[in-house]
Amino acid sequence: MMQAETAAAHVPALEAHWGGGASPFGATWQKTMMWIFIVTDGLLFSGLLCGYGFLRHVSPVPWPRQSEVFSIPFIALMTFILITSSMTMGTAVTAARLGDRKRALNNLVFTIVGGLCFLGCQAYEWSHLIHEGARLTGNPWGPPQFTQAFFVLTGFHGSHVFSGLVILIITAIRTGMSKTPAQGIEMAGLYWHFVDLVWVFIFTLFYLL
Amino acid sequence: MSVTTGNPYRIYRITWVILLLITVAMLAAEAFHLPRIFLIVFLLAFMMVKATMIGGNFMHLRYERRSLALVVAAGILVTSLILYSFISREFRYITERLSQ
Repeated sequence: MMQAETAAAHVPALEAHWGGGASPFGATWQKTMMWIFIVTDGLLFSGLLCGYGFLRHVSPVPWPRQSEVFSIPFIALMTFILITSSMTMGTAVTAARLGDRKRALNNLVFTIVGGLCFLGCQAYEWSHLIHEGARLTGNPWGPPQFTQAFFVLTGFHGSHVFSGLVILIITAIRTGMSKTPAQGIEMAGLYWHFVDLVWVFIFTLFYLL
Repeated sequence: MSVTTGNPYRIYRITWVILLLITVAMLAAEAFHLPRIFLIVFLLAFMMVKATMIGGNFMHLRYERRSLALVVAAGILVTSLILYSFISREFRYITERLSQ
């Protein structure tokens, strides 16, 4: 009895300290689950980038200069496309929240076009490098880890872009039919921005540094 | 989300412009062949600024409760450091075992 009273007295103090009571993140369960997914998916890329960093650090052969292997302006164009698609996605999310379905749909379509352009650029980059002799097991520029890291990092990212596109296309179709609530577009948007966020790290750590 | 005053889409355009400017600055730094240590610090700092802007403005973390933003940012950062230390140790262990 005494213990129950003590526990009950602690509840308000705990709530005040935690600041959220029964909903510590102040978000719906859908959004909370989406964030948990994003964190875990972020850890996947974090592991890949850490592995890449270590492989590069211990490579006995000098790492090739990226500007001699890749066309950096072309990679910059891919970055531009992805950042722009994130901007249109953000606009779509806000438009959906404000009930402007037409603007939301238009911006979803712009985002999808941006995603398709990005994937097209990535396919071109891959085919170009494969044509020049890049393989998982070796490459003409030096350490085989270089192309291993390239194919794994950009491949995983590309697969995320592809799945993001599938989600966006479904969301756009359902928005066109007035079947997707604003929160559905927000969830798709979170995923798309995450894809953009991951690219920021790959672009800097793999292509520039 | 509490952006309802003024043009609600303005924040995305401003963020987009800033992200593009930062990207151009990063490309310029790489093209001008800055000393390696400066280049690393410069690029990593700008990368973090870009990531914060995308997380804060595009993913709306700045409008969410601070507990959510902290869990997301600190969770990924701390776990990445732990991951890197594990990967380093594992690779060294495997390399030593293979060389024996």
